[in-house]
Amino acid sequence: MIMSEPIATPDAATSAETLETDLVHQARRGDLKAYDELVQRYQQRIYATIYHMTANHEDANDLAQDSFIKAFQALKSFKGGSSFYTWLYRIAVNKTINFLKQRKHRQHFSLNDLDFQTENNPDLVALISHKTPLREVGLTELQKKLNEALLKLSEPHRMVVVLHDVQGQSHEEIAEIMDCNIGTVRSRLFYARQQLQGYLTEYAKPA
Amino acid sequence: MNETEQNFEELKRLLAFKRHEVPPPGYFSHFSGQVISRIRAGEAGGPQNFIERLQKAAPWLADFLQIFEARPGLIGGMATSLCLLLVLSVIFADRPDAASQNLLAVSETSAAAGGPVAAMAAMGSSSLLTAASDSSGIVASTNPVTSLQPTATLFGQAGASPLFQPAGFQPAGQ
Repeated sequence: MIMSEPIATPDAATSAETLETDLVHQARRGDLKAYDELVQRYQQRIYATIYHMTANHEDANDLAQDSFIKAFQALKSFKGGSSFYTWLYRIAVNKTINFLKQRKHRQHFSLNDLDFQTENNPDLVALISHKTPLREVGLTELQKKLNEALLKLSEPHRMVVVLHDVQGQSHEEIAEIMDCNIGTVRSRLFYARQQLQGYLTEYAKPA
Repeated sequence: MNETEQNFEELKRLLAFKRHEVPPPGYFSHFSGQVISRIRAGEAGGPQNFIERLQKAAPWLADFLQIFEARPGLIGGMATSLCLLLVLSVIFADRPDAASQNLLAVSETSAAAGGPVAAMAAMGSSSLLTAASDSSGIVASTNPVTSLQPTATLFGQAGASPLFQPAGFQPAGQ
């Protein structure tokens, strides 16, 4: 199981949007069953974003739950100016950034396991067996190095990289989620990638 | 931009590796249930923790406290300076008050120098006190509550005070 969802077709997207609007209306009236459906719809993406930001499963679990609870509390203030998904993401992003600012001096890993597809991923196999000078490096070691490098970035830069390069969000979506313009997203992404390339020179060499 | 994108191609492939990190099996089948039960338990409208309440009531104070959280050295420095201030205030409180000492010295010197008004005032006040003491056995004092009590002697009260009559019980006809 890969923690990103396939892109929906336009028709499916429209019906999903309609269903989502209905669910939001019902949840706003206090219908917990409808809200449960909304949680199930976005739990993986919200959890994954927070997990990639914190590199800690327990923190990600707590923050993801808190984000959904806060969203439920604030549902009455949701005007529908943006999609529920963007609005929910904004809550999760703000909560995570605030949390990371507070725990700046006590970072510790609690990394999730890799799924069974990892070892069959040709890109990764090639990366660790042929292109790196450290041939003996294992996947777990690579995972650790990658998370360490990500944690060296500032929170806004890390968030942009996670949302774009890991979660596959567009620049426009990220700009809306992070409440900034697209130019800022692009420049942050470029700077963050440059930084990461510096930290991971032995794995990711420029072409 | 294309060239730049190509430069980051390797890095993007590396970052895609993060998608393979997954939580324990069955994690998401319980997640929404936990959220809903927390909402049901009243956490949604229930009491918030202290920090959240403070953030709403006095955001400036919460921000101020966050500075200390981020820089633990600062709170140590502030605590040390407060302790120092306390010690200094105790030391200075033990010393006699310089202003009152000066005032006392000035009044004594003026009386000794023979200032008529000061001398009379000094004499008058002392004679009044003596008279009061002699006539009723009441010791003059600045404390009005205790000073009105007649002084007791070994054989009774010194001098009969018109203000006080001894109380006794005698049945009628005896």
